[in-house]
Amino acid sequence: MTTPDTATRTRPPTRGRRLPGDVDMWVMILGDLFIFGGYFVTYMVFRAVSTEEFTAAQRHLSVGIGVTNTVVLLTSSLFAALAVIAVREGALRNAQRLLWATGACGALFTLIKAYEWHAEISRGYTISDEFFSFYYVLTGVHLVHVAFGLIFLGVAVRELRNPRRRRPAIVEQSVLFWHMIDLLWVVIFALLYLMR
Amino acid sequence: MTDTATTVTEDGPGKPARPERAGKREVWLFYWAFSIFYTALSVGICLLGRATPPPRPDVDALQATAWFDQHQWGIQVGFVFLLVIAGGAAISNGMIGYFMMRMSSGRTLAYAYIASMGVGAIPGFQLLLVCWLTATFRPDREPRILYLLYDLGMLSYNGSLGCFTAAYTVMALAILYDKNRIFPKWFAYVTIWQIVTEIMATQMWLYNSGAFAWNGVITLYIAVVVFGVWIICFLALFRIAARRETAQTPALYEPEGAR
Repeated sequence: MTTPDTATRTRPPTRGRRLPGDVDMWVMILGDLFIFGGYFVTYMVFRAVSTEEFTAAQRHLSVGIGVTNTVVLLTSSLFAALAVIAVREGALRNAQRLLWATGACGALFTLIKAYEWHAEISRGYTISDEFFSFYYVLTGVHLVHVAFGLIFLGVAVRELRNPRRRRPAIVEQSVLFWHMIDLLWVVIFALLYLMR
Repeated sequence: MTDTATTVTEDGPGKPARPERAGKREVWLFYWAFSIFYTALSVGICLLGRATPPPRPDVDALQATAWFDQHQWGIQVGFVFLLVIAGGAAISNGMIGYFMMRMSSGRTLAYAYIASMGVGAIPGFQLLLVCWLTATFRPDREPRILYLLYDLGMLSYNGSLGCFTAAYTVMALAILYDKNRIFPKWFAYVTIWQIVTEIMATQMWLYNSGAFAWNGVITLYIAVVVFGVWIICFLALFRIAARRETAQTPALYEPEGAR
């Protein structure tokens, strides 16, 4: 990077007057939350119909792996939030490092999830069981979102590497999407691993 | 963008003139063709053909035969009508391709969209019509054959989603890369929801009942709501984009130096 971080320092936005990211990304996030809300309600309805079967199947999931993945994603969100603060303060090198750290957590989350799927399938817990159908579909769609999130983080890093660009709004948009992924995972973790 | 004309009018110089709507009559013609085709498609598929909402996936051969018998006239009238107007899908895809070619993201994505939707229309539309029309025009065939046509029609119609996923992906990419702002960026995100629901719908091959069957809440009803939102947004944006087309808008295939 050739421009000193202090040279690109921007004035902090006036509190309460500016929407982080842009309206387009908020449309995406609110719509996505609505769609996932539909999936969650459907899961709870089916769970209420077959409570005993779902509870018995749930016991085969490793809560430890679920907690580990939750900690990994929450840590990634912390890095992402710090990256936005760094961009707003003009500390662009630091922001890039934090975005890389966010992406690394996302990759680690994916690896842990792949290991968990492999372990469950190896023990014979497949889509033949209704609970595990929901488990694979909900975590699978969430993983697709993690992949989209990693692409958006890549776009943000590319934006910061280009001296002619460096728009804070682009970083905010990708971080907003990443926070949504985190929020969705917390709900999925509670529904699939903890709800009895 | 080159599609907003500013001319001197009776109101005085400097005031923007109203866009010359008559300049691109063919765009409006195809806009209405698009709207009418989708309306006819909804009537044929939903009200007459009974493919949406779908019949039950967990029936046996005799029940499937009885279902065809019960809905014979609706399927025949609705699906023969749809077979006649099936070319409307090509007009719709072509219209979307026209606007995608106006994007700065390039024509390759527009061609990819048209090709993906064109290929997808065969399993996702034509095969359903052919299977169910065969079943209703040949009711004397063995129940197990009619049962196969029942399953094949529905699984092909709702489960053959790879081409549509590809089409929505290139459309979302084209909008996100476009600097001419033909369609707003939020519509690319709405299109990404479509991709997700299409991926979810693949589950219907594995289940005969429940949330993931072809009549399931997740694979069908939530996907239908998302598609409804997408098509309403698309028609509104299509209308706005068509309104911007004036006599001054350059032709797509005009030589570069003539613009």
